Amino acid sequence: MKVITGVVGNDIHVVANRLIDLSLQARGYEVFNLGVNTYLEEFFDAAVETGAEVLMISSLNGEAEGWAREVKLLKAKYKQLDELIMMIGGNLVVGSGNTEDIVSRYKNYGFDLVCHQVDLNTGLDSLEAFINDGKIKERCQ
Amino acid sequence: MSLLQEEREIILGNEYVDTFDFSEVEAFVKNASKELFISHHFKKKNKMLVQPRGGFPTYKQQFALYEFFVEANVDVLPLTIDSNTRLNDYATAKKMLRLSEENDMDMLNGYPLVTHGYRTTRKMITHFDKPVSLRHGTPDARLLIETAIASGIFEIEGGPITYLLPYSKNFPLDKAFLYWKYVERVCANYSKLNEPINRESFGPLTATLVPPSITIVIQLLEMLLSLEEGVKSFSVSFSQQGSMNQDIVTGAVIKKLAKYYAQQIDCGDAAIHLVYHQWMGAFPANKDFAEQLINLSTVIASMVGADKIITKTREEATGIPTKEANAKTVADTQYTLGILNGLPNVVDEQEEEVLTEEVNAIMEAVFNDPADTLWRKVFNSIKNGIIDVPFSPHIINHNEMITIRDANKNIRIIKRGGVPIPDRCFEYEKAQCDLNKSTTGIVDDIIHDIGIMQ
Repeated sequence: MKVITGVVGNDIHVVANRLIDLSLQARGYEVFNLGVNTYLEEFFDAAVETGAEVLMISSLNGEAEGWAREVKLLKAKYKQLDELIMMIGGNLVVGSGNTEDIVSRYKNYGFDLVCHQVDLNTGLDSLEAFINDGKIKERCQ
Repeated sequence: MSLLQEEREIILGNEYVDTFDFSEVEAFVKNASKELFISHHFKKKNKMLVQPRGGFPTYKQQFALYEFFVEANVDVLPLTIDSNTRLNDYATAKKMLRLSEENDMDMLNGYPLVTHGYRTTRKMITHFDKPVSLRHGTPDARLLIETAIASGIFEIEGGPITYLLPYSKNFPLDKAFLYWKYVERVCANYSKLNEPINRESFGPLTATLVPPSITIVIQLLEMLLSLEEGVKSFSVSFSQQGSMNQDIVTGAVIKKLAKYYAQQIDCGDAAIHLVYHQWMGAFPANKDFAEQLINLSTVIASMVGADKIITKTREEATGIPTKEANAKTVADTQYTLGILNGLPNVVDEQEEEVLTEEVNAIMEAVFNDPADTLWRKVFNSIKNGIIDVPFSPHIINHNEMITIRDANKNIRIIKRGGVPIPDRCFEYEKAQCDLNKSTTGIVDDIIHDIGIMQ
């Protein structure tokens, strides 16, 4: 399964990004890592170019919230991305906030999976569960 | 007129520069006080020089910071530049400086040197009559270093590799090499007039599990790129790595090889110094623990035999340190250096041999690149993954190398990627580590290894 990952916006914090890359590879995904300092258009372009099934965006400094508001609008311009699994994780707000509120806000922005300050492996487990869940539903239909 | 002089006139014709008087600046450097040259202090001092970090937006604040440092018995003053100036955005720097001056609030994370200009800044530098080190992080530092030298700042930190790979994702590396060639030439030319201008490379890189072989190779290459342009005084550097033994071994090997490779290009007459950075990784939030860590760094710097130490502060984990905390670190470090006597001489021949072999193998691979000039060979080697810096955000970096810590906290290479680590050395490195772990286990180890001082 193909995954696009990267750190959104002008955020240059690279350590977790490298660790996500390694962990995804260890779990058998084919990883396209766009690195730090990546804009939304670049994520969607890469999804089209590679035919990836998952887009995993991360943020450390919290600027994701500013960018995430544009996700639905921008994604609608790309015709082939309706099936793309949208995931986001890291520190999703500048400062602090209530996790429940943050998760529901980001779901409204268009994300299927939202991991605010969640341990890396827990986050990746939730992705696996989401994918398997989807496959089960497919088989039942 | 030489091509370099033509380029200088274009650079200094920048709209944010208030007429640059070439002959006046030349006369100033020629007659400048020897005290301003760190190269002069390296020659005459037999103690480790202590240099803090620090830069504030306004002239007044920077002046006050220097007063605190002098009071704390500082050896070398820092001038840290703000991030707008680092990215050549002089318009924003100018606006933010005005806002900082008018509102009594810091809108810049350093001193906007180009905006203040050399006529103003020189007053401060000559007033304190101490060597000043320029700390920045600028890929295109041409205008900045011209302004610095004209101000009386005779040590310039940085380099095309060490100021790019840890800080930037997209800035073209080949351009950085050419911009830094200009810097080296200007420093070399001014060095003929008085004491030499010292150039210093930035060894900490990403400060995240960088193995000593990669650090040393990059230090040596930036040194050679500088010396081949005529620079006569150069400092190689590295930061505390987490294992005292590995630091001592790194210090021994870098000193030996810097001398060797300088001689190989007939630059054995240049003075080479060693700079040690106190721990550059994540700091403990507990300020008392932070002071213990700083103290430990000072002890190791002495064991390593560094010529200069660059300090951190007890407020490292919280943000930009106050001038009080900054000055306290200087006084504490001077005190520790004063009471550190009768240090044992530690030599680990086996580790030195392995590290030397690794560095020589990578250097050989760089020199064997078919390009015609050294900077192109280095550029190609980074592009090909012969040089690979762990955790660099730059797109040119391969990110194939993986390192972890062994039981003694030495940084070890467990995946070499395209870096030509000789088989014998690679087997030795891996033999020190527990490799019977899944990748998930290794990722957990890496997270732990990055945060060992917290």
